[in-house]
Amino acid sequence: MLEYPSVDLSLFERIADELAAARIGFAAMLPDDWTSPLCTVLDRAPEFRAIRVAREPEIIGLCTGCFFTGSLGLGVLGATGFLACASEIATLTRRYQIPMVLVVSKRGTLDDHQVFQEVQGRTARPMADLLGLPSLDLDSPESLAGIGDLANASRLQKRPGIAWLTKALIVQSPTAVAS
Amino acid sequence: MLTTESYFDTIRRTWTDEIVVCSLGTTADSWWDATRSTSSFYVNAAMGFASSVALGIALRLSQARVWALDSDGALAMNLGGILTEAAAAPPNFAHIVLDNRSYGCLHGAPLVNAGRTDYAAIARDAGIAAAVSVESADDLGAALAQSRTGHAFVVAHVASPPRGVGLEPPLAIPLDGPELKYAFGRHMESRFGIQVFGPQGY
Repeated sequence: MLEYPSVDLSLFERIADELAAARIGFAAMLPDDWTSPLCTVLDRAPEFRAIRVAREPEIIGLCTGCFFTGSLGLGVLGATGFLACASEIATLTRRYQIPMVLVVSKRGTLDDHQVFQEVQGRTARPMADLLGLPSLDLDSPESLAGIGDLANASRLQKRPGIAWLTKALIVQSPTAVAS
Repeated sequence: MLTTESYFDTIRRTWTDEIVVCSLGTTADSWWDATRSTSSFYVNAAMGFASSVALGIALRLSQARVWALDSDGALAMNLGGILTEAAAAPPNFAHIVLDNRSYGCLHGAPLVNAGRTDYAAIARDAGIAAAVSVESADDLGAALAQSRTGHAFVVAHVASPPRGVGLEPPLAIPLDGPELKYAFGRHMESRFGIQVFGPQGY
């Protein structure tokens, strides 16, 4: 029987704190294994109304609706799910100029040893660049302080901003996600 | 059976203060033609996800009653959204589906599995108890009125448009994305006393 390592949630609680400090109070989520602990934290956090979705492009629609209620929406998703959102990001958020923050796992990097993630490593970031999305690598505890600036950049530039959740950050947890 | 015109006319006559979010194509164009409403939001994009936009508003703004005007073609592109909607079950949300078994703006090109899919049954089996199908203007009006009492899913069977061949007609709505965003956002601000845009307009 496979054993899956547990994860220290304190790191993800810090991410949630930074998101809350950026006045984000709504989260739509469909996690992979790297982002799943953040979803667990957001589910529990009283500052957030967090809901799970069936497929990632719903996140783009839900966060668009959230924007019209006076708050930035937060999407939490894996790199594969991000690839699935190309059309909705292009035709909805870029055409209508809708800001939101997306926390996306930065899969397929050299330190990610899952073979089924390697294509995402070569395509997700270029897709974000092609769509003209501002982004921030969450690669150290210090980098979490940039989440507020990312949220502000999303508003200023009227488009989604992406916080890439890296393995470099996650492995700083005492019990990290398996590779 | 309802016609496209009687369907939208019934919704327009039943509509009072609901926030309306329209799916693209026939739905958006017909709602614009019926109302000229700039306080509605027209998702002429992201086919299938107007209902997600509407759900996001309903979940964040409990004092608003929100109607998602959807079509079967769009719903088929986001059928999983029914699960999300069922799980969240916002009492201030109604998902209203025009079921004409075809793509109206593609001159009636047939929808996959046309005539066999029971969307209301799918919604009921997903856990939305108040999911109904209607065939007439009176039943549609009654279902819309009933929808004001809680989360609802209304499927209206509407006559299919005549089948033809041709390119997609131009949009009826003379407003593009950013203008629709600001018109709708400013309406939300004045209607609900919220701040969608900051002091510098973004």
